[in-house]
Amino acid sequence: MNTMVPALELRGVTKQYGPVTALYRVNLSLERHGVLGLVGENGAGKSTLISVINGTVRPTEGDLFVGGARVSLGSPADAARAGIATVFQEQGLIANLRVFENMLLGREAGFAKVGILGKQAMTRLAADVLDELGITVDPLAVTGSLAFGERQLVEIAKAFALGRIYPVEPVILLDEPTSALSDAETQILFNSIRRWRGKASIILVSHRLSDVFAVCDRVAALKDGAINGTWPVSEATPDLLHEAIVGRVRSAGYYKESEQRQDFGNVVLEARDLVVPGQLDKVSLSVRAGEIVGVAGVLGSGKTTLGHAIAGALAVKAGDIFVNGKRLRPGSLASALAADIGNVPAERNIAGVIGMHSVEWNLTLPSLRSFRFGRWPILSSRRQGQVTDDWIKRLRVRTPGRAIQIRNLSGGNAQKVVFAKWLARGIKLFVLDDPGRGLDVGAKEEIYALLRKLAREGVAIVLISDNLPEIIGLSNRIVTLRSGRVSAEIAAPAHDKPAETAVVTHMV
Amino acid sequence: METRVSQPNPAPIRPGQWIAKHAVSLYPLLVILALAALFTLQNPYFATFDNVMNIGRQSSVLLLVALAGTMVIMIGSIDLSVGSIVTLSGIVAALTIDAAGPVAAVAAGIGAGLLVGLVNGMTLITLKVPSFLVTLGMLSILSGVANMICGGSSIMFMDLSLTDLVNAEYIPGIPTIILVALAAAALLAFVAFNTVLGRYLFAIGGGEVVAANSGVPVNRYKVYAFMLSGALCGLAGVLLTAQVGAGTPAAGANMLLDSIAAIVMGGTALSGGIGGPQRTILGVLVIAILSNGMDVTEVSSFTQEVIKGLVIILAVASTIDRKKYAFIK
Repeated sequence: MNTMVPALELRGVTKQYGPVTALYRVNLSLERHGVLGLVGENGAGKSTLISVINGTVRPTEGDLFVGGARVSLGSPADAARAGIATVFQEQGLIANLRVFENMLLGREAGFAKVGILGKQAMTRLAADVLDELGITVDPLAVTGSLAFGERQLVEIAKAFALGRIYPVEPVILLDEPTSALSDAETQILFNSIRRWRGKASIILVSHRLSDVFAVCDRVAALKDGAINGTWPVSEATPDLLHEAIVGRVRSAGYYKESEQRQDFGNVVLEARDLVVPGQLDKVSLSVRAGEIVGVAGVLGSGKTTLGHAIAGALAVKAGDIFVNGKRLRPGSLASALAADIGNVPAERNIAGVIGMHSVEWNLTLPSLRSFRFGRWPILSSRRQGQVTDDWIKRLRVRTPGRAIQIRNLSGGNAQKVVFAKWLARGIKLFVLDDPGRGLDVGAKEEIYALLRKLAREGVAIVLISDNLPEIIGLSNRIVTLRSGRVSAEIAAPAHDKPAETAVVTHMV
Repeated sequence: METRVSQPNPAPIRPGQWIAKHAVSLYPLLVILALAALFTLQNPYFATFDNVMNIGRQSSVLLLVALAGTMVIMIGSIDLSVGSIVTLSGIVAALTIDAAGPVAAVAAGIGAGLLVGLVNGMTLITLKVPSFLVTLGMLSILSGVANMICGGSSIMFMDLSLTDLVNAEYIPGIPTIILVALAAAALLAFVAFNTVLGRYLFAIGGGEVVAANSGVPVNRYKVYAFMLSGALCGLAGVLLTAQVGAGTPAAGANMLLDSIAAIVMGGTALSGGIGGPQRTILGVLVIAILSNGMDVTEVSSFTQEVIKGLVIILAVASTIDRKKYAFIK
């Protein structure tokens, strides 16, 4: 095969959904053995583009070439035969199958001997692929028993397994693969990508510019459905990409360090020696009014559990949580709410918003009782509407109206509603679990600005996150957890932010 | 600090969208109109005022039962004991009215339903058994109890003050029982959308974890939903007993499936969170019109069952919004 022929090429791809143009004359070329980063805001057309390449969406116009040969559009089977494999954001693994069965799902035909599956051959091939990728997962393990990050790695291994079966070099589409991975798992993934460089061509879709700089050799920015520039990574800078993605210059200080508070009010949260068997081992944490305390740790370090315990979603076995001097009943959401604790959960669609309900119903839920007419049990629909509209305006939630079902909003706007539902109620302590998950840079920046504003107004904030730059940039102080224990407390004043490595040292 | 992010304009609203958006509410209406036209062509008596009042009289109790079921289905649970509560409350009212008078009979009937609802709800939240099984068990228990009390026969009573009341026409031509059922429907529709109780029930059905995280006392409100269901069924039982003039051990037997069909046809999803009492009124109308229409057009009762089944399947197939279901199971 000629290395000059691109592994994959899109020419003039346009996709219209009724009056909406999702993609407009996209030309994109992926070099053989290249790793191309594809960046863009939510709604820029990344997912549509991926779907066009893997055949699940037929474009209105345009052509797709793989290895110089034209591939018929809108046919997932043809795309798979041409070696195109997709690793989706939402996991496509079947929980009750074993790992090797998932990896070779739909490809069993090649292993059948007189109609009986050659499970040994399947297991061997799966083990071999996992081994080559440096993924320490047992191919015989039941997929549902693996951690989220491990399942994601299996899904990626599944794409690589394709390359062993078809006599074509795989083109692998990774759709936001790192958004739910811990840093250690992200490193494993990146190492695998580097190792497979000579054997596959890869498109990596990501919100994180750091991903692009870590493994890609070229990067393309998508904005409003059109390619807004392509650069060799060696020539791209974060500011350049930021501008190409959002169409404006990145404001100085993404994390608004200049707005970081130096002095704080009274102690709001005082957690002492919290114990949750197997997850937290005598963890203490205190946060003052106006202070942002970051909690960092790898998957399984207990950081999520700590957030649940403070927010009242999970009962601690031992230890006390005081908010403004009042002891909370362990595991009582009602008690946490009575102490004015708000929570922004990591899994927004399961724990943060009710997708089928309107923006208004979601936003007013925690403060519903305040809309009663005095002591009457009847709610004022006029005041609910006013308050909702007010918060939509204040947080610049982009929605056609307050009556729209919230599942129609983009992730960033839905997340703003999660914030607004607590702000409308009034809170003193905010427990945030990965508040930037799945949000594009523009939406993140707005959320960060909001956190600064809340801190200024005296809200105490516990920030749990997998995103180290975010934790370092936003926090006044960082607490690292390792195997359920506090391993370090690191000061992070605006003028002297710790390096990522200084934090990671205490996490692993 | 001002930030501006370019954003594609939201798509303009097309004329078809309003209809598409309200299709779930419009379909049952269309079914009702189509059935009414069909039956009127077959027998003009169908469309007379007298017959319309007949339909109302026949479906008032079903409406109350379906409203009861709606309050529970709204939270994503199900109450299979509705019909058996109707039976029990009817018997309780029949047993008490002669000794204690009509007011006490009404209170006893509703109270019995409320108590059963409380037991259902408490069992659900303490033993964490799915509502389907809790209420299935309750259905069996109550049927047994009803038969034990009655010993196989009906319970008659002398005091006809309630019977006179439900059939009285304070508004000329319209029997009280219809007014009671419609008032209950209007009240519940108001409660569902304009009170903390209603909104909490919707929130629990829409996303229990979100509701809990937002400070909704989920368990307490689940119990309330079952108590509300029990009380409404109790009222339905009392009215039915008054209407027929006797408490019978099989009074509510056919109501469970009819009420669930009416609820789903109306547009309240079995998975909870959407729909509500106002939708259920339309679903009940479809069933009531169908039964009455086939009676007046002299369709045999066996054929009636077959046709009713077909219409229910077709109506639900055309009304449910499949995008709202992750799985059809």
